[in-house]
Amino acid sequence: MTISVWRYSHLALAVSSFLLLTLASVTGIILAFQPVAEKIKPYRADSFNKVSLAYTLPVLRQTYPGITELSVDANHFVQVKGTDAEGKKLLAYVDPQTGKIIGTPGKQSEFFQWVTALHRSLFLHEAGRFFIGLTAFLLMLITVSGTILIIQRQRGLKRFFTRIARDNFAQYYHVVLGRLSLIPIFIVALSGTYLSLARFGLIETPKQSPKIDFDAIRSKPEKKAADFAIFKETKLSDVESVEFPFSEDVEDYYTLKLKAREVAVNQVTGEILAEVKYPVSVMLTNLSLDLHTGRASGIWAVVLAVASANILFFIYSGFAITLKRRANRTKNKYKAGESNIIILVGSENGNTFGFAQAIHQSLLKAGEKSHITELNNYTVFPEAKHLIVATATYGLGDPPTNATKFAALVKKHPQQNPVHYSVLGFGSHAYPDFCKFAYEVNSLLSHQEWASPLTDIHTVNDRSPQEFSLWAEAWSQQAGIPLNVLPQLQNTQPKDLDTFTVTATTSATRTDGTFTIQLQGKRRLRVNSGDLLAIYPMNDHRERLYSIGLIAGQVNLSVRLQPDGLGSGFLHRLKVGEKISARIVENKHFYFPQEAKEVILISNGTGIAPFLGMISQNTNKTPCRLYCGFRQRSSFEMYESLLLENHASGQLSSIHTAFSREGEKQYVSDLIERDAGLISAALEAGSVLMICGSLAMQKDVMELLETICSKKAGKSISYYQSHNQVLSDCY
Amino acid sequence: MSKISSIVFFVLALTFAGASASFAQTTKYKCMIQMTNYMGEGAYISISLVDSKGAYEKTLYVLGSDKKWYKTLKEWNKFYLKNQAGVSAITGASVTGGDRSVNVIEIENSKINTGYKLRFESAVEDKAYNVKDLEIPLTTETLSAKSEGTGYIRYVRFSAN
Repeated sequence: MTISVWRYSHLALAVSSFLLLTLASVTGIILAFQPVAEKIKPYRADSFNKVSLAYTLPVLRQTYPGITELSVDANHFVQVKGTDAEGKKLLAYVDPQTGKIIGTPGKQSEFFQWVTALHRSLFLHEAGRFFIGLTAFLLMLITVSGTILIIQRQRGLKRFFTRIARDNFAQYYHVVLGRLSLIPIFIVALSGTYLSLARFGLIETPKQSPKIDFDAIRSKPEKKAADFAIFKETKLSDVESVEFPFSEDVEDYYTLKLKAREVAVNQVTGEILAEVKYPVSVMLTNLSLDLHTGRASGIWAVVLAVASANILFFIYSGFAITLKRRANRTKNKYKAGESNIIILVGSENGNTFGFAQAIHQSLLKAGEKSHITELNNYTVFPEAKHLIVATATYGLGDPPTNATKFAALVKKHPQQNPVHYSVLGFGSHAYPDFCKFAYEVNSLLSHQEWASPLTDIHTVNDRSPQEFSLWAEAWSQQAGIPLNVLPQLQNTQPKDLDTFTVTATTSATRTDGTFTIQLQGKRRLRVNSGDLLAIYPMNDHRERLYSIGLIAGQVNLSVRLQPDGLGSGFLHRLKVGEKISARIVENKHFYFPQEAKEVILISNGTGIAPFLGMISQNTNKTPCRLYCGFRQRSSFEMYESLLLENHASGQLSSIHTAFSREGEKQYVSDLIERDAGLISAALEAGSVLMICGSLAMQKDVMELLETICSKKAGKSISYYQSHNQVLSDCY
Repeated sequence: MSKISSIVFFVLALTFAGASASFAQTTKYKCMIQMTNYMGEGAYISISLVDSKGAYEKTLYVLGSDKKWYKTLKEWNKFYLKNQAGVSAITGASVTGGDRSVNVIEIENSKINTGYKLRFESAVEDKAYNVKDLEIPLTTETLSAKSEGTGYIRYVRFSAN
């Protein structure tokens, strides 16, 4: 609850300010280069910190009798203003010790002036200043809410700088960079807000001048400027400016504008005529200017530029995160409590959600109060008359992750009114346990007193639109509610396919068992080992996925030829030179880790395919152990020479094989058991484990790892899973 | 007496003008503008020579270098738009509340004591515009005295350079 409040505020603030924030950041980056460009000019005298006014003022007055003002800018350049001997304008940077001219101030760059005006006021004067000020204030709130979000995310202030779990690029770097640039951004926002408040008079920064009693001015005793006490004790580094007396009249005096006060000094006696301390608000304004513009330090200016650039990245990544989150969220027009039709979805990768959405949209169009949610959100639905369950099955007949709690919830929350239910299972006959979980749900519901079936259970094989609409017709007839799902159904036809050319295949020599096939995609194809290749053997909705190993830029697949296999048969029939249409399915969670102490690869059968590519690409020579299981040695032999080559070059540290139908009749899990201590220690040291192959193997290995880890390290395997140390891609 | 001297001066001036047509005799003055303690942005100020009827004759100095604000000095800007030549050479920084600015302005001797006036016009970004923050007759007397302003200018003082 609390996290959503902060996240909502963070988002709302960002949305309301991002346009101006973008503008302010871009101009801010440019403006940061102004102090940097100024600082590198050679007008800073070395003696700057040592020289006192008692020394420098007489020197300057002697060298330039027409001097009217001396000023020290943020770059510590000492500038004099006045008239020279010929009565011409004098404006120059000088060495405060010798009075020698070291440079002339150039005109303020028109470009920077233009950008500054845009940054401050959008060329809209007061209104623009107001909006920019407001943006600074919002940025401050964004920073605060962002900090709280990080604290909540890291579960505590103490763990603020510990490792961040990586979901995806935008989210990861949003947090990583957020932590780093938090402080500079907060300072920019705070100082900007302060300057705006001061600008609009909400913080008073009154100007006060020393009040001089002209009647009390004395002209005795006469002293030399070099002997004035105030001049002796004032170092040039404390000075902002000195105004010289306008004439030699005793009523004209020196005005010293120092860092913290303004002093009027009698030009004859050196007496302090009057002085006024700047109010705190004025000091804070100066500090804010230093911090906001970076004028006082070139390094800080660069930090500000980087922080501004980060703001731009936050705007981008923030929106990327939000859009992604919104895309995954189902929109419900009616609340669960007021809906007559409840659609419950069990979906592992979103395909089933697509179908359920089609039902939902169609019902809404028909004017029904329909509500769609995950199976895990099952509860009492007081107005429900119909329950539609659309679910896939995961792994070996298990519920998808968003349906795991359904059985328990059904027991806990019996419906109070009679409800008609209908179950629709999604799956593929290519796998055993076809729609097993859907059958379980159907049987579970049939035992509930409140539930009566409206239709028999229906299944949809391979996302078939025909089978889907068959269910829709049956349901529509029974319920008396028109349901026209097909127009709502999207993404059943493959889109954006690329052409791939077969460059090599071992199908001719291997007529049963496993074969390999090599495909060449278009140039600049974005693909990595671990991604999947989706093929469409019949050019319809039926899709088959294969793990990709990228070797020398070629897509390599290892395929087990199934009897009557749709995908494997199709691939087996391909000849060198043939072209097919397919697409790459990004599978980032199964990429070879960029940084890891060691990587342990575990596969069985054709699950070795992505690993072959990963090992070939392991040019950094990250220590890498391969455990692979096959039925016969002959299956392994296809890969043996490549693996030995990689072993020799150091890209693969060791190879461990198990053959289930020959020799010792070992499974890959037996190898894991043998090296249990080693693997547990490796996980503890931060190694990454990757598993690819059959779900049965995955299940065995995970169970084994659970026992090993709890015994040797006292931790559950889920601990390493949550730290992205166990990656798997099984089928 | 003064009449005679002015005639003599006039004749001299004519001769001089005849000898070198474009050069009139001028004097440089230091001009100090002391601002009031108003709050806000730096003031833009133009110093102009105006004739007895109030028509602009010449721009003597401009405080403020960003041309985009010149339009806030409404009356002077009309004159400036037609007579921009040479103005950038007599332009300095704008001046904020409580500060003073000392600049050198060059005045033709022939304009002094002959009915011409000096006009100080001031404007601040979002605040009021003063067409005559200060307007003084251009005489030897005013060029040695202190003159009080009515807007952002507290006073102006001159001294021969």
